[in-house]
Amino acid sequence: MLWLISAQLVNGIAIGMIYALMSLGLSIIKGLLNIPNFAHGALYALGAYVCYSVSSVGMPFAVGLLAAFLATGLAGLALDRLAIRPVGENGYLPQLITLFGAALIIEQLLLIGWGTVGLSYSPPLILRGAFDLGFTVLPKYIAFASIFSALVISAVWLLIERTKFGAYVRAGIERPDTTQALGIDVDLLLSGGMMLGAGLAGLAGGLALPLVGATSTMGGDMLGIAFVVLVIGGLGSLYGSVAAGVAVGVVQSLMTIAAPAASTAIIYAVMIGILLFRPQGLFGER
Amino acid sequence: MRTSGDNGTVLVKNLEQSAEVHGKAVTARSGLQVASLVQGIGMVGALLILPLALPINIATEILIFGIFAMATNLLIGTAGLYSFGQAAFFGAGGYAAGYVLAHGWTSLPLALMVACGIGGLVAAAVGILSIRRLGVYFMMLTFAFNQLVYYIIYSWRSVTGGEDGLVGIQRPILELPFVGSFGFDDNKRFYGLAAVLFLATMIALVRMVNSPFGIVLAASRQNSRRTISLGYQVATLQLVAFVIAGAISGVAGALFGMLYRIMPVDSVHWAASAYVVFMVIIGGQKSMLGPVIGAAVFIWLQGLFSLVWIRWPLLLGLFVILIMIYLPDGLVGLFSKVSSWTARWRGQRS
Repeated sequence: MLWLISAQLVNGIAIGMIYALMSLGLSIIKGLLNIPNFAHGALYALGAYVCYSVSSVGMPFAVGLLAAFLATGLAGLALDRLAIRPVGENGYLPQLITLFGAALIIEQLLLIGWGTVGLSYSPPLILRGAFDLGFTVLPKYIAFASIFSALVISAVWLLIERTKFGAYVRAGIERPDTTQALGIDVDLLLSGGMMLGAGLAGLAGGLALPLVGATSTMGGDMLGIAFVVLVIGGLGSLYGSVAAGVAVGVVQSLMTIAAPAASTAIIYAVMIGILLFRPQGLFGER
Repeated sequence: MRTSGDNGTVLVKNLEQSAEVHGKAVTARSGLQVASLVQGIGMVGALLILPLALPINIATEILIFGIFAMATNLLIGTAGLYSFGQAAFFGAGGYAAGYVLAHGWTSLPLALMVACGIGGLVAAAVGILSIRRLGVYFMMLTFAFNQLVYYIIYSWRSVTGGEDGLVGIQRPILELPFVGSFGFDDNKRFYGLAAVLFLATMIALVRMVNSPFGIVLAASRQNSRRTISLGYQVATLQLVAFVIAGAISGVAGALFGMLYRIMPVDSVHWAASAYVVFMVIIGGQKSMLGPVIGAAVFIWLQGLFSLVWIRWPLLLGLFVILIMIYLPDGLVGLFSKVSSWTARWRGQRS
């Protein structure tokens, strides 16, 4: 039993780190553009497919991950220019609608490009197998995915907290008008934020590929989870979503031991429980 | 509640007085009555023609989604509550009524009351937890609750049929005293039932939007803080609107289950919530006619695209983006644009 629980625990941390990557991207976009990115799930799926294609033509898995990041980043730029900007003056509802339309288009393009059958991918040789820790085994890929996600999140943290671009981003989230008045190109900043957020979704998709494979519908389920993570972490807190992502992953994995069928429903129940006691989310401001 | 209702009446009186100040109140009102009479006759005429122009089940489906879209527009267009979780109430009502109808209770009023009640109850539960959150947060919460309802229905196989959907739904029977019992197995009769409920919903919602209740909701959409500071219980009224919209959506869901005698689990998926918001937006949210036109165009296009290409959602996505870019006020906006063009053209000619 202990063995099972600790195995699920490490599993949950790895999945939770992927949720955290997703939600961090969503959180950056929400912060800068003030819209929930309804195409985030589709970008996640796109990342998984791009990573699959690049890796299966003989490139190293790391190149696949990089390609997933860059390709979805570019897709994010395209979304910004084609779906968000043209309807920008009428509040955020039209932007949501166009983003949802774009998500439909991306999902169908994935089906056209890669077919309707789901793809599975096994991690590169060096990441196969497992470490034996005595009380449990730790699959190498699970360890890699957790550490890699942690590194990426740290890098994004450094980028936002310690660089000039990051200072602009924080200023843009806090006071967009003042930022513009100070001579910073907020339009460019928003595009940059959209690319970064979208790229993180793609990277999450690439990382999830060896764990869950690639299917065209993987985005929809992930979008729901990413929203839950964001709500639990609290809007307005960029890093609350990281902690909430790991927590959600762990809770979900542990629940698969007790009630496999209800493991996804349970995270929504957790969300309701948290909202009852902290309506602003765990780390959100009132 | 009571005080805010009174205040609402005062607000309406003020509006009427200001109309009278402009000196045309009486003629304006009788003109309005004639216009609404003409509109009413036009609507009944359209309901009679619709099944001749389209396959009867498509026509019925348009009316069902028209009801659903009008209810959603009470939230989006009037109250400014951007809910992305309306399919949860559509599905809850549809599954509840479907369960009743599949287990031998085939009374029409019972099925409708169950749908209305369950849809409203679920909406009340979701509304209480999310109505005080504003803007984007509200939208994400309703979305997440939608997913919760979806997973409950998906996992609760013994009652809902899980991913196969709820099958074996019977069309209801209406027992009238002294007249006898009406069955709705005939598709034309069922269309009639949908049309009656559609008209009733439309009348009720139009009256509601123009009532003091609706005016306060609209005021809170335009300036929530100011409306609160005027003494209106904005959160309570928004919750009432949310429950009403949920109950009506539940009835639409019940009709959908009766129409195809199955309640598919996809009807509860969040994509269905997004689709009904599409209908409202592509039609136009400024009147109750807009969502109906949106629903008609959406259902029609869905049928058309799915015949043309297996990847039809792609075309749908493109259509929605183009509409949003070029017709931000929806298709109703197109009509007014066209009429203003023709007016200008006539003006130039004379």
